[in-house]
Amino acid sequence: MIDVENLTVRFSGSTAVDNVSFHVAEGESFGLVGESGSGKSTILRTMVGLNRHWDGRIGIAGMDARTTRQRDLARTVQMVFQDPYGSLHPRYTIGQQIAEPMLINGIADPLGRTAELLDMIGLGPKFQFRYPHELSGGQRQRVAIARALSLKPRILLLDEPTSALDVSIQAEILNLLNRLRKELGLTFVIVSHDLAVISYMCERLMVMRNAKTVETLTREQLRARDVRDAYSRQLLAAS
Amino acid sequence: MTAPLAEIENLRVAFRNDEGQWHDAVRGVSFSLGREKLGIVGESGSGKSLTGRSLLGVLPSYARVSVDKLSFDGIDLKTASPKLRRSLRGGRMGMILQDPKYSLNPVMSVGKQIVEAIRIGDRKLAAAEAHRKAVAALDAVHIREPERVMGLYPHELSGGMGQRVMIAMMVVREPDLLIADEPTSALDVTVRTQVMSLMDELVTRRGMGLIFISHDLNLVAKFCDRVIVMYAGRIVETLDAKNLRAAQHPYTQGLLACLPSIDGSLEPLPVLNRDASWLEAAR
Repeated sequence: MIDVENLTVRFSGSTAVDNVSFHVAEGESFGLVGESGSGKSTILRTMVGLNRHWDGRIGIAGMDARTTRQRDLARTVQMVFQDPYGSLHPRYTIGQQIAEPMLINGIADPLGRTAELLDMIGLGPKFQFRYPHELSGGQRQRVAIARALSLKPRILLLDEPTSALDVSIQAEILNLLNRLRKELGLTFVIVSHDLAVISYMCERLMVMRNAKTVETLTREQLRARDVRDAYSRQLLAAS
Repeated sequence: MTAPLAEIENLRVAFRNDEGQWHDAVRGVSFSLGREKLGIVGESGSGKSLTGRSLLGVLPSYARVSVDKLSFDGIDLKTASPKLRRSLRGGRMGMILQDPKYSLNPVMSVGKQIVEAIRIGDRKLAAAEAHRKAVAALDAVHIREPERVMGLYPHELSGGMGQRVMIAMMVVREPDLLIADEPTSALDVTVRTQVMSLMDELVTRRGMGLIFISHDLNLVAKFCDRVIVMYAGRIVETLDAKNLRAAQHPYTQGLLACLPSIDGSLEPLPVLNRDASWLEAAR
């Protein structure tokens, strides 16, 4: 479903992602773990076309991310950002935020689908007339998820989806994401600094440090503490 | 037991809502603190930060505060003059905030900021001596090449280094009480461990009292002696940190249960079913 090969991203002199490769199968959930600045978010942003300058190859559902039109890419892969306070438009109602991608893409019956999406994420259609400032952090993150799902993508890229939330709300969002993945057959790539979240959510994970891949592990290897690299061990010990 | 370092009795903090009615954000919090490490945990909006800020006296002017007793090392803070309270802040009481990026002055080198903190406390101190003290403070928080770091600006520091600079700035005046409000939430896990052990070292060595405010129950339990659990502006439970697993209140139990763990089950995580009776729970 996702093939990233020899991806390198440079920002004015510094290398943010250095020759990273990984593959994610359809329906799989794949985790990226590492410290801030290790390049994990940059990989996600590059996959959805938010970085223009990169080297290597990114294949998404058989499409080449470099040559495919942004609009076609957007129908296949969508992103949810860390901070639900910053990622929603403060002067759009919840309904407008969710309907916007469908209006841009000319999808039929955006209003009906918005109500359906609000049901799916557990808020209900009455929320479509509210504004983001009237919602709690967890509710806003649900709206961001609904908006990401509005174009019926096959892949969701989740950049620290719960690290701005309380632990009690985190549990609700993680349960919601797992339920949606099962119901809609989605493929996930989840960025997190929290190994416990990754171990709960992902079948495989990649540890990153200083823009490079440290190692790729299965959930079973992680749980058996079967890690080769000293840095991964350090990360495990700190968690 | 010696006299408590700080005492709070029946603290209430209220804000006006959009309709102009007063709404209590902290509803009758009481506790006393010795020279120990006390953790306050709760979700956002539970009033844990407001409680810490009340003790320092740095609440916004539009907050309505009422308290039966508020004392620090025998000083009655309720009747203390603003001047006295100002001299306590930064001197005998220090505070560390969550994000060094927003809490340090961006247009002043960190060395200057630390020297400023020192000289506010002791205006007669010679510049060279203040500089020497600042370098020693950076050294105490395990910053390599402290002389070089003195000349750096906050944007040139990593998150962990920024937080250590902030800790250095607070402990250089050797406060008796340190209030740390989510000091490690903006940091990476590996850096978090370093900052926590550093704070532990400083608090233990200097015999300070520490109030550690956090939403992370496990971190607080690992680090503190005693834990206060707050919900909706009230204390629902006070526990010895080592007995955290024996928590009685369903809210504390729920907070512990909803955390995923590396080796945990893959079944849906238990979520909190908030019970209306928790709002009225006694201490």
